Amino acid sequence: MPSLSALVFLGLAALTLGSAGFVAFSRNIIHSALALLGTFLGIAGLYVTLSADFLAATQVLVYVGGTLVLILFAVMLTSRIAEMKVSNPRGRPVVAFVLVTAVLLVLGRVATRTPWPAEARPAMPSTAKLGHAFLGEYLLPFELGSIVLLGAMIGAVVLARRAVRRAGEKE
Amino acid sequence: MEEIGLIHYLSVAAALFGLGLFTVMTRKNAVGILLGVELILNAAALNFVAFEHFVAGGVSGQVFTVFIIVLAASEAAIALAIVLQVYRNHRSIMADQLTSLKN
Amino acid sequence: METRTFDNVASLAYFAPELGLIAAVLLLVVWDLASPARLKIAGLVVISLAALAWSGGMGAYFLAKDAGPHELFHGLLAFDRFSNLFRVIFAFVTGAIVLFSVPPRGPGVAPELRRDQGEFFTLILVLSLGMNLMAASRHLLLIYLSLELVSVMSFVLAGFKINDARSSEGALKYVIFGGVASGIMLYGMSWIFGITASMHLGECAARIAALTAQQGKVPEVVFVGTACMLAGFGYKISAAPFHMWTPDVYEGAPTPVTAFLSVGPKAAGFAVLVRFFSDALGAGSASPAVATPWPVLAGCLAMATMTIGNLSALGQENVKRMLAYSSIAHAGYMLLGFSVFSDAGVAAIAFYIVTYCFMNLGAFMVVMAVAEQSGGDETLSAFRGLGRRAPLVAAAMVVFLVSLTGLPPTAGFVGKFYLFSALLTAGGAWRWVLAIVGVVNSVISLFYYARVLRAMYLEKGERTEPVAVRPLLGATTCALAVPTLLLGVYWGPVYDFVASSLSMLR
Repeated sequence: MPSLSALVFLGLAALTLGSAGFVAFSRNIIHSALALLGTFLGIAGLYVTLSADFLAATQVLVYVGGTLVLILFAVMLTSRIAEMKVSNPRGRPVVAFVLVTAVLLVLGRVATRTPWPAEARPAMPSTAKLGHAFLGEYLLPFELGSIVLLGAMIGAVVLARRAVRRAGEKE
Repeated sequence: MEEIGLIHYLSVAAALFGLGLFTVMTRKNAVGILLGVELILNAAALNFVAFEHFVAGGVSGQVFTVFIIVLAASEAAIALAIVLQVYRNHRSIMADQLTSLKN
Repeated sequence: METRTFDNVASLAYFAPELGLIAAVLLLVVWDLASPARLKIAGLVVISLAALAWSGGMGAYFLAKDAGPHELFHGLLAFDRFSNLFRVIFAFVTGAIVLFSVPPRGPGVAPELRRDQGEFFTLILVLSLGMNLMAASRHLLLIYLSLELVSVMSFVLAGFKINDARSSEGALKYVIFGGVASGIMLYGMSWIFGITASMHLGECAARIAALTAQQGKVPEVVFVGTACMLAGFGYKISAAPFHMWTPDVYEGAPTPVTAFLSVGPKAAGFAVLVRFFSDALGAGSASPAVATPWPVLAGCLAMATMTIGNLSALGQENVKRMLAYSSIAHAGYMLLGFSVFSDAGVAAIAFYIVTYCFMNLGAFMVVMAVAEQSGGDETLSAFRGLGRRAPLVAAAMVVFLVSLTGLPPTAGFVGKFYLFSALLTAGGAWRWVLAIVGVVNSVISLFYYARVLRAMYLEKGERTEPVAVRPLLGATTCALAVPTLLLGVYWGPVYDFVASSLSMLR
């Protein structure tokens, strides 16, 4: 009888990979984008089992609430909704399949043969430690993150404002 | 059934990585390719957290993952702004129809 | 001097160049909003140049004072001669690009330079900050963060021409390639983190060295992780097989941006590549008993990169696209020096980067000056008869092209000489193969560079009237041509200075 934690892990892994498979194979771009939701939630669940509670929350808030919504907007703005059925066509599946299988074989072989210095640890909440790290040892990257976001914001405004302005001019 | 250990998490991440690579290589829709990139980023992030939990201890892996999430969001914002611009200029975002730059 | 690790507050004094850049970025945003229209551009240029002069000047001051080496911010950043040398180089390159991007007064010319200048200069300065950080990173997180900072800014700059379908298409390819490459790099980093249980390059090095000694070879997991990371680095320096974005992005982007991308981020990519291999993997100092796969791996990358770059450049009609392929080829030459993994090799790369800055920036500047006067035409036909129509600019272009080919008496020749001599001093059959491939490639490159020379001096264009080059562009072009020539004749002090500035924190 598998333990409860094993069952939880298997369920989350199935959710993650099943949705990821949908992302990879669906021929409808909206289905693909929505399936990404399952992957993000599955990963968030896996973070919880790895005692990364803060990350799980961030994953849901930023990825699902931010990135995914952004992607859906882009899908809606760039596709004709009526022609959605084959909006996400595929090419060269055989070559890609062979390459990916080769990569996975190498990765799997190395991962199983490597003596990872792993040890089982009890699950502990880590949010407080994370906060201390951000205001201590990792203060510099934390502040630099704000510069990246400032730059990205300016950049996105420059690019998108023009696209929207041009759309207005055309109409 | 044995206890869930590091190798199980690594397998999930590797499978996710493979699916992401497959998506990137086969998709023609630019947004579809970006979805594949998100899969790859999540695979790497899961690896970091798993290694931190089972191997390294501390919080550096989680710190790294926070940055992966933040930078993925900012990159997605830029990427989608560019996708919009391409759509305005070409009326298409299919990679095989973007051929104004060719040898 | 002993190495000291500083905490956040004590590090700030050594972080002053970057603080200056950050302050200038914020100031630019405010100035762009609040300044009177007449003074706007002048103010933007002055603020940018002042910040860059501060950054480069502080770098030079630290070099002259021989400060360091220290570890800043709890070991996240290195403060050593290597990072200071690159501060000077990046400040110089960015300063040249700022001058390059000053929009012309007359109507109708280079419209993309006149739109959103405030944002443009802001992004350029943020990019410069990112490059400084790349050269100083000693921690996997900082490597990722600074690489991504540079990438995101580059994506925006590449798509800066609004109405141009080519610009946005190039930017889209760039963003997709960049995303995939950094994703693969992250996956590799996670494995390095998993086996070493640390992200600090110094600690990684100790752990990897122990494992290598224990197993008698480089552990497989380190090899796979490093190979994945090479995707991220290789994409930044546009090494094959991660070069595919280069020609499209370079052709589509505004010319100042192309010049910037071909020099700045590429040099930064080499800086982080060199630091990662010598710091984390100890590739330069491994005991000879252990055969490492790195020289062969880097050698294969080098050969593939320069061959692909040179062969693809042969048939190009668009000079900008040709220079894009040529910049791939030059990344290949620099990888030759990298594949030696010796101090001489690193010195040769750094010196080559210095010479490459002058000649490549100059060549792109001439392309821009010519295209401006021929209605945006960047193909060979715009260069026909340039020898008579604009003698000075044409002469400067000759200097740049001869230098890019690597013929004496120019800086490019000296740079290549040091690369090959580092390669052959190391000895061995593999190095000789690499050197021969490199020489053959240099000969191939002569063909396509010579096509431009022929167009300028031997062919007649439809137009014969003199080309009126903007004084600013003309002056900067000449200012770049002089050192390109000078370094070809009298390079000793500069080379010694560069070679002595490479001591790195380990």
